[in-house]
Amino acid sequence: MKIKNFVKNIFTYTPPCSYEFFLPNDFNNSNSKTIKPEINETKNIFASLDVNLEYIKTQYNLLINSDIITREFILNARGKQHKALLLYIDGMIDTQILNDYVLEPLMMRNKNNLFDGDQNRIISEAVTNNITVRKVKKFDLIDYIESCLIPQNSIKQSNSFEKIFSGVNSGNCALFVDTLNIALDIDIKGFKQRSISKPENEIVIKGPHEAFVENIRTNTSLLRRFSNNENLIIESLDVGKVTKTKCAVCYMQNIANSDLIAEVKYRINNLEIDSLLSSGQLEQLITDNNSLGLPKAISTERPDNAVQHLLEGRIVVLVNGSPYALILPAIMVDFLKSPEDRNLKTIFSNFLRAIRIISTFFALLLPGLYVSVTSFHIEILPTELLYSILSARESVPFPVIFEILIMEISFEIIREASLRVPSAIGSTIGIVGALVIGQAAVSAGIVSPILIIIVAITALSSFAIPDYSFSFHLRLFRFLFILLGYIAGFLGIGTGLFVYISIICDMESFGVSYSIPYSHMENLKNTGIILPPIWKREYRSSYLAPKKERKQEDISMKWKFQ
Amino acid sequence: MVKSKIGTISAILLTLSIAVSYITSSLPRTFINETKSAALLNIIYITVVVLFIIILFCKLFEKFPGLDLLDISKFLGGNILKNIVGGFFIVYFTISSSIMLRNFCEGLVVVYYPLTNYIFVILTFIISIYLVNKLSFNATINTSSIVFPLVLLSSILLFCGNLDNFSFRRIYPIIGDGFYNTFILGLKNIGAFGGICYLYFLPPMLKEPQKFKKIAIISVISTGLFILLCVGTLLFMFSFFITADEIMPLFSAARYIEFGSFFQRFESIFLLIWIISFCCFLSITCKFSAHIFNKMFNLSDIKPILNIIVLLIFGLSLLPQNYAIANFLETNIYRYLRIAVGFILGITILILANLKKRKVGDKN
Amino acid sequence: MIKISNVFNKIFILILIIIFISTFSASYNSLNLDNLAFAVAIGIDKSTSNKLKVTFEFLAPSPSPESGSDTKPVLNSVDCSSITNGINIMNAYLGKKVNLSHCKLIIFSEELAKEGISDEIFSLINEVQVRPSSNIVISKCNTRYYIENSVPSLESLIPRYYDIFPNTSEYTGYTCNATIGDFFNALVCNSCSPYAILGGIITSDNNSSQSPSPNESSIKSNESPISGSRASQNIGLAVFKDDKLAGELNAIETICFLNIRKQIDTFLISIPNPEDPNSKIDIYLTPNSTHDIKVNIVNGAPYIKINLKFSGKIYSMKKDAQYLNPEVLNRISNSCNSYLESQFSNYLYKTSTNFESDINGFGVYALSKFNTSTEYNKYDWLKNYKNSTFDININTVIDSGFLLTQT
Repeated sequence: MKIKNFVKNIFTYTPPCSYEFFLPNDFNNSNSKTIKPEINETKNIFASLDVNLEYIKTQYNLLINSDIITREFILNARGKQHKALLLYIDGMIDTQILNDYVLEPLMMRNKNNLFDGDQNRIISEAVTNNITVRKVKKFDLIDYIESCLIPQNSIKQSNSFEKIFSGVNSGNCALFVDTLNIALDIDIKGFKQRSISKPENEIVIKGPHEAFVENIRTNTSLLRRFSNNENLIIESLDVGKVTKTKCAVCYMQNIANSDLIAEVKYRINNLEIDSLLSSGQLEQLITDNNSLGLPKAISTERPDNAVQHLLEGRIVVLVNGSPYALILPAIMVDFLKSPEDRNLKTIFSNFLRAIRIISTFFALLLPGLYVSVTSFHIEILPTELLYSILSARESVPFPVIFEILIMEISFEIIREASLRVPSAIGSTIGIVGALVIGQAAVSAGIVSPILIIIVAITALSSFAIPDYSFSFHLRLFRFLFILLGYIAGFLGIGTGLFVYISIICDMESFGVSYSIPYSHMENLKNTGIILPPIWKREYRSSYLAPKKERKQEDISMKWKFQ
Repeated sequence: MVKSKIGTISAILLTLSIAVSYITSSLPRTFINETKSAALLNIIYITVVVLFIIILFCKLFEKFPGLDLLDISKFLGGNILKNIVGGFFIVYFTISSSIMLRNFCEGLVVVYYPLTNYIFVILTFIISIYLVNKLSFNATINTSSIVFPLVLLSSILLFCGNLDNFSFRRIYPIIGDGFYNTFILGLKNIGAFGGICYLYFLPPMLKEPQKFKKIAIISVISTGLFILLCVGTLLFMFSFFITADEIMPLFSAARYIEFGSFFQRFESIFLLIWIISFCCFLSITCKFSAHIFNKMFNLSDIKPILNIIVLLIFGLSLLPQNYAIANFLETNIYRYLRIAVGFILGITILILANLKKRKVGDKN
Repeated sequence: MIKISNVFNKIFILILIIIFISTFSASYNSLNLDNLAFAVAIGIDKSTSNKLKVTFEFLAPSPSPESGSDTKPVLNSVDCSSITNGINIMNAYLGKKVNLSHCKLIIFSEELAKEGISDEIFSLINEVQVRPSSNIVISKCNTRYYIENSVPSLESLIPRYYDIFPNTSEYTGYTCNATIGDFFNALVCNSCSPYAILGGIITSDNNSSQSPSPNESSIKSNESPISGSRASQNIGLAVFKDDKLAGELNAIETICFLNIRKQIDTFLISIPNPEDPNSKIDIYLTPNSTHDIKVNIVNGAPYIKINLKFSGKIYSMKKDAQYLNPEVLNRISNSCNSYLESQFSNYLYKTSTNFESDINGFGVYALSKFNTSTEYNKYDWLKNYKNSTFDININTVIDSGFLLTQT
């Protein structure tokens, strides 16, 4: 009966139940020839607080942006009460300062604001010939607030929204008062400077040394600080029926494709789970499964990297309690990029990229190729190399396949062990492992020195892959290719590679084909095969279907051509 | 079935990768065998002929924008004709791929797996195709556009690596076996452009259908160039008596490549690339046959049909008793099938449909 | 239900893998590194008891892994009826499978070559393992003896020596990089004839019995003035008519051959000194790339016109030799031209009338004179080649000497 079921299962038809989502490719903004913002006028602050509030709401998308805070209150000045509004970004200001030195003096009734003296202030009084000449300044509310009410060292007045917003974006707080068309930019910056540490796993040499931390608010403030633009939207979503973990979906409102944004939010909102504790879990929950175990989201601990991707038109998802940001969508080439690339000269970063592609190839195929060459295609070895392999294998009792499996598995054990042990003895494991497995195994005649070289090159290659989860995939599928090479030599490897490439070509990450740019060759701008020189990076990756295609003018280094 | 449509370059690479599998198996041998030293002339001649035919096709297709051959035959003779034409193409596709699979595997057995039964070599291909069939149509197309550049690279390497062994005077006597053999009998070689059969079914899948003509012409020209490259390599290297007897002529050519004393004997790398591209060809044919079947009977999902087609190919490839018969089938019977189905059937239907359209148009 | 079918799926996959491993393991065992014995050279002799005597040279790897590539040659011979048969007997004897994929040198004895070696060549070329780029040597002596003595004197790796020595032809011109692939190609071709490297052994009596070495350039294997640590030498060419050995070429003839086939970069010859008839000048010649060969069919016989251009430099230095004087240079180049012309015509008539073998591949040049290959086949080039007339025109431009000091 069971066999019948099995046969039935093979031959009967089961309708496919796959979920499909595509990014529309026919975006119609390709005619935008310049990067200048469409509306270039600088708006001045309105006199009415309500109008100001409306304007702020549209500019900052207050309905969906989770970390932009507006605080409406009644301001007391000289016993009179004015409607007022504070605008600031949560996580970028020091709440203590805000409470104690801005809100309290403004709201609480105290000597200062209760003083109901003359509306006009006497600036100077000179008595000549018994005639008292009084220079009187008319009472000015905004000056009064600035000079008398807020005990803050850095306060600026401004009447344009642009200046005020840039202040807010960099962590200041803006005070709007009803009836006044001037706002105050109060410096109450308060980043969590000390708790932000150096990135530990994505090390770059030239580049900022800041990493995300566990607190989501700090992380959003890091994004805000790097992007410094009010178009950055940070939406907050709760995931998990029990934990209600806060997640932040961040994107550039005027760049990222709206379908993509909707899809990401749709997926995050439709998770029926109890708890969510890390971004790794979230990644698996919101991306399609694939049999190869390839990562479909870049996970980074570097805010500069995240912002770089935000500006490309991707979406960053932050999870409270996890110091890693997810960048969506991600395709194959993204895992071969390092955040370092952009900081280097173009030729060097392209060289590094080529090295990484080669090391991907080695990490995946080298042991398999070795097995298939030594078992089926010996003629490909140069004669001298053949004889050195032969004499190296002279005293080895195992067949090649067994030898390589021993080495690969013991290498994986060393790697896992050195990760798991406390860091103080971690380095000893490496030394012991290298000593034992390398030198002793060779002199004991268990493995041949050639094989040690093969395994070492493979291991080094897998370390050269910038993305941890991608190198995981390579580590695992290496064994598949060893098996295929053992079964049928190049025939096995060839068919295996074909299936492997096909599966990769079939994969999609949020509607973006995973094998871009190697498979779709037409109409792609900024494909990522090679990194163009910095003045040539004119377009955003078109497979992301961004709202704005261009990110540089044709002539970006204007100083050179004027 | 095609989720996002095929781009222009992908479509060209698709037809090219079909031609590749013909070339890596026995096609160059047939060319050189039949036209001797005039093989290159013959290829150029045939390319021009096919170019004319394809321009004719495009002219005929122009009246039916966005329709493929099946839709056109439905227009011409209703569902019955549509099913007959579809049936012909399915038979043609399965037979072609199975015979070529058999021949390719026989070659592999001779070269690398002397003690393995050829059934298992075939089975290796069949399993990989079976696995890939679970994926979408796009996966196959994308794969072929990744793999083809590799194949092109390998052929160019083959050409350049053997430059030392060339003697370009082998193209003389220029007419080969005489005018009749080269230009009249040589027309049989038109089957080398079997890849353009697949063009009949492309129009509805294209991203930019208005570029169909461009795709067709470019793919014919580039197929011609590709064949020229490969046959040229063989012709310049060997006297044609040798090529006439080789199982995998290009493989033999690859054996001669040497760069210094270290890079010798890497013909198996070429074989690796050809195996991958052959897999591509098989999976394309499978997908296309299933697509036709799907279109004939309006099925919602092609996956079960795909498995049946794979099994069919497997069965058919086991039918010939030995390599001699398989080879005979390929060089003699299958070739005419290729011409009959690929060119004559297609042209007839298109012309008739055009006539009917004109008639209907007149009535209106 | 779903789980059970999953288990079945897994079992099915497992069975499939096992089936595949078992079916491919036969090929695996026959091709696995551990089961193979790699022959680096095979020698094929005429046997007294059977048809052939095949000698295999293997290299035994050194047991200690530290001194990686230290190998010593092992020679085994077998009497057999065919090469394949010989390999099979050798397999049984060695307990390993003989693999020819690293065979660099295929040596036929002169005796066998005179009787025709087409069967052996065909069976070797049909073997997948045999490289078409292996060199083919016709040995003047017993092949086993030749292999035994082919030990590199300046390096320890025998395969590397086998790889390198044919390449010396590019600058000495005394031998040729003749491969079995070319040999086979020429064998089945209807417009050229095969050739092979001529190998031999220095024998002490040979050296002494020879009349005082007449000319450096007429040396060939077995008749050379070399005495060194190694006995084997490869100088000159073996010329075949069809599959039978027709004759031998000495060093200067090989130079002519290589020049006509454009397979030489530079070479050194000694020409009579026009100033002093008793002495000779060494000239270093470089063939220009623009030399043309034209073949015409005149009255049914080939008329072959050869135009060769060389540029040369004088190597040897004598007292009061005015090598910067254009007149002297002119005289030297005239002398050089006439010397080369005589050498070339000697060589060409030797191949056509004595050997009747078109190793130069003039037939390929003749192809363009025919419209169809049937006409060409009817003409039968190889038969008509012996009637050819040669018109040789050599133009040498002597630049100057390699002068550091003017004398």
